[in-house]
Amino acid sequence: MPAQLSFTGFAWKNLWRRRLRTLLTLGGITMGIGAFVALVGFSRAFEREWMRLYSNAGTDIAVVETNFLNTSLDQSLDAKIRAVPDVERSAPMIFNLIDLTPDVNALVYGWPAGSYELDALKYLSGRRFQDGKPEAILGNLLADDLKKKAGDSLPIQGTVFTVVGIFHGGTALEDGAVIMPLDQMQAISSMEGKVTAFHVKLRPAPSGESYDDYVKQAEKQIEAAIPGVHADPAADRAANNGLVSLAHAVAWGTSSIALLIGILGIANTMAMSVFERTREIGILRALGWKGGHVILLILTEATALGVVGGLFGIVAGWVALRVLAALPQTASVVSTSVSPIHLLEALLIAIASGVTAGAYPAWRGAHLSPVEALRYE
Amino acid sequence: MNSPTPGPILEARGLVKSYDDGRVQALRGVDAAIAEGEYVAITGPSGSGKSTLLHMLGGLDTPSEGQVLFRGSPVGKGADLDRFRSQQVGFIFQAFHLLPTLRAIENVQVAMLGLTQRNNHRAERAAALLEEMGLRERMNHYPNELSAGERQRVAIARALANHPAILLADEPTGNLDSVNSAHILEILRGIRQQRGMTLVIVTHEQEIARSAPRHIRIRDGRIEA
Repeated sequence: MPAQLSFTGFAWKNLWRRRLRTLLTLGGITMGIGAFVALVGFSRAFEREWMRLYSNAGTDIAVVETNFLNTSLDQSLDAKIRAVPDVERSAPMIFNLIDLTPDVNALVYGWPAGSYELDALKYLSGRRFQDGKPEAILGNLLADDLKKKAGDSLPIQGTVFTVVGIFHGGTALEDGAVIMPLDQMQAISSMEGKVTAFHVKLRPAPSGESYDDYVKQAEKQIEAAIPGVHADPAADRAANNGLVSLAHAVAWGTSSIALLIGILGIANTMAMSVFERTREIGILRALGWKGGHVILLILTEATALGVVGGLFGIVAGWVALRVLAALPQTASVVSTSVSPIHLLEALLIAIASGVTAGAYPAWRGAHLSPVEALRYE
Repeated sequence: MNSPTPGPILEARGLVKSYDDGRVQALRGVDAAIAEGEYVAITGPSGSGKSTLLHMLGGLDTPSEGQVLFRGSPVGKGADLDRFRSQQVGFIFQAFHLLPTLRAIENVQVAMLGLTQRNNHRAERAAALLEEMGLRERMNHYPNELSAGERQRVAIARALANHPAILLADEPTGNLDSVNSAHILEILRGIRQQRGMTLVIVTHEQEIARSAPRHIRIRDGRIEA
């Protein structure tokens, strides 16, 4: 059987003739897609973790000031929230990202010992903390990182806490966190009498009323009862809280820059390739290749770079997420779960990058005069 | 095949090709007709416009004025011109113009890639053509592994790939020694006889010119009487 030449085989041979350049170009798009997979994947997983944090505890509404990062509400508002008819439970809380050791920082929550959110945790050892005492419970991931167990001590912001229990919460935001009494957290944060937010659990929705409508009604009741606060559905707070918004912005900003560099790399490679192959394109045109065939050839080459770079990038991004999830500095906020849709998005972005980057070189190649191209040295 | 059919297969009417805003004229009103199955040599000194005329006749370039007709119809522009080149014309060049990254058999197939044929059909046809050119043992070699004569035979096989009606050769023996030149000429004449193709050769070599029954002599962009 004689050797067959397919259109894609021809495109592959064209790419492989300049191996180093092709590999470097692949490196560029791999980095871009890898950054997208890792960073945007991280920020989305971060958002999902927040949602799970709320849903695991049964939180329906978060009551905050305008800005979640700097929000500061009087703890005394708790009584007003509880007085709202549809509210079943209200839990004041503070959270912050704190350095526990030079290598490990973690989310630290301050909850009252009676908070309904503590009910959602599964205790692997020890017990709950008590209000008014320097006690803390650790998520199992953080306990492993710090090599702490119930009964050990843990200095936080100059105060020595006793680890009284180890729990499993089901999200990285809890399992990599410290939870202490709200009063202790207020003390080490200089926020006496203040809280970051109130998490609210509503009474079951009356039959026949949709959950969304019921939550909206409760939000209005809370905002009417306490002017100046925002009562947001848990899903909105998960998506729009300051940390998640910051993570999204950094992830998209960084990966956009990396993707742009990758696209420019492909564009440069394809432009150089068309320039170097001017005479060959003239030969193809002399053989009767239509301009459209030349465009298709060059776009196939550029898209192949995008697809292969995209696949490498997906692997690289996933590996980066695994590494981040294993590092003590980031383990508490990084989840390794990546949705298939996110990977599909990455691949589509890679393909679009190839097509975009190849468009102008392809157009230029198709519009070369055959006779001029044949004369090209 | 020595009996030409009645109408011209190719006709040049008032071809003018100018460059540099008309300051340079390569062709200055060329009229010529080539009959179906005819073997014509276009001769003339260097720079006389003979290659330019060949490019116009084969649809590689478009005239500034005038038109080229194929079997009585203008060859058109754009996609029509591409179709004319791919389906009716086979080009052979002095410099062979093989693609260096492709094997001989792939160089022949590449001419067929633009047309809708299956991979195995293209490969089989390419193999048959190379075998016809006496290159059965060389079809998996790259151009830089072939002699000049072999490269030109690959180029001829490529030119024949899409069953063209016309074979246009621009100085096909210009880069060959006398033995290979004679061989290539013999191949071209054999192809014309066996397939009944129209053969137009641009040459400045007297021996090749003498082999053609009719000459078109060009000087300074005009056909000499």
